Amino acid sequence: MKRPTKVLIAKAGLDGHERGALVVAMGLRDAGMEVVYTGIRNTPEQIVAAAVQEDVDVIGLSSLSGGHMAQFSRVMKLLKKEKIKGVLVFAGGIIPDEDVKKLKKLGIKEVFGPGSSIASIAEFVKKSVRSK
Amino acid sequence: MIMQGKQLTKLVTRLESGERLPAELYARTGRARIVGITGPPGVGKSSLIDRLIDELRRQGKTVGVAVIDPTSPISGGALLGDRLRMQRHSEDEGVFIRSLATRQHHGGLTDSTPQIVHALDAAGFDVVIVETVGTGQDEVEVAEVADTVVVVLMPELGDEIQRAKSGLMEIADVLVINKADLFSAGAARREPRSQNRGEPRSPNKGEKWERPTIHTSAKSGEGIATLCGALDAHHAYLVSSRQLARRRERAARAEVIRLLQSQMTASILRALEAPQSQTILTNVAKRKLDPYDAVGKLSVRILGSNNRSSKHVARSPR
Repeated sequence: MKRPTKVLIAKAGLDGHERGALVVAMGLRDAGMEVVYTGIRNTPEQIVAAAVQEDVDVIGLSSLSGGHMAQFSRVMKLLKKEKIKGVLVFAGGIIPDEDVKKLKKLGIKEVFGPGSSIASIAEFVKKSVRSK
Repeated sequence: MIMQGKQLTKLVTRLESGERLPAELYARTGRARIVGITGPPGVGKSSLIDRLIDELRRQGKTVGVAVIDPTSPISGGALLGDRLRMQRHSEDEGVFIRSLATRQHHGGLTDSTPQIVHALDAAGFDVVIVETVGTGQDEVEVAEVADTVVVVLMPELGDEIQRAKSGLMEIADVLVINKADLFSAGAARREPRSQNRGEPRSPNKGEKWERPTIHTSAKSGEGIATLCGALDAHHAYLVSSRQLARRRERAARAEVIRLLQSQMTASILRALEAPQSQTILTNVAKRKLDPYDAVGKLSVRILGSNNRSSKHVARSPR
């Protein structure tokens, strides 16, 4: 029996704006995925530990507070350090274009800004997991 | 710890996908204390576990946790939101938390929960906590897995008639009224005495355990130490009264029956795919054949020609 795609949605750092992350979590649930939602104010260490214990296929990181570079790059570093391979990471939030390029260089597959549709996010996750 | 991190997490994933626990690991189980936490949605089960982990860790115990949320019957997806209440324990190497989706299993747990509890037990955790989905009145499967069942309620959930009903309330070894900070007056703190006097309760006949009612607040931490004390007391009772062995026999029996059932179900479903079986089913829908006669015909196909007890097969519950 193949399990549904399992996704971790977490907000990193000091940022309490969780509406967007929650909407994405519910959207991916409606797309048939099992979504672990760990809420606001996660440290990168907690996010990576949760990803290991939950054995997720995908991590979705959200930040609207401007802390994305520090927080997300630390998550990517920890994933590498823990030798966690094959986990797709995507991000969302208020993230300037120049940072999007940098984040993609770090291995974050896609960055979704304001106005992204749930359908496009779900489609992206499905396609990326399939081609993994 | 015998098993941790990636090794354990991959094992749990395999169990979730229907693979079996290796026999050598099952041989190592039976050491952990298994605590089931159940109760309606929103009473604070996950937050209470978060506090329990604090207390158990303070005592130097390691804790494995399986938390369950429902799968959507519409999309097949799930939003697993229990972990977020206890996410601060993620980095603690003495704690392992895994979220599970019911995947259409009814009864409060998932198909794989008994096996996953074994895995956490074999991994060496001192205490294994299972949080059921938010339950109604009739999801009592957790009593077949746990040594100690904690039923969590909150103030204003209903009058004493609600609490006197069968089902969920009967399986409680420890009753917790969480959100005690919400009590407006002292009145609701009273627990009907007759439920509290260690009368034999149907699933646990012969036990002489006086079920305590504990008021807690996961918000303030009130009552958490008392709850831990009650869990210890119940465990001591199970050991001294030899009820622990009885409960575990019951759990083993339930698990084996369940596995047998799912194997039987699979072979029934396979047999139903045959064209002749399809014709029988169609005839029932067309009222040419009644359901009992259909079972008679089908059970011959499924179980072999020497089966003469199709009435019993048809009438056995569930």
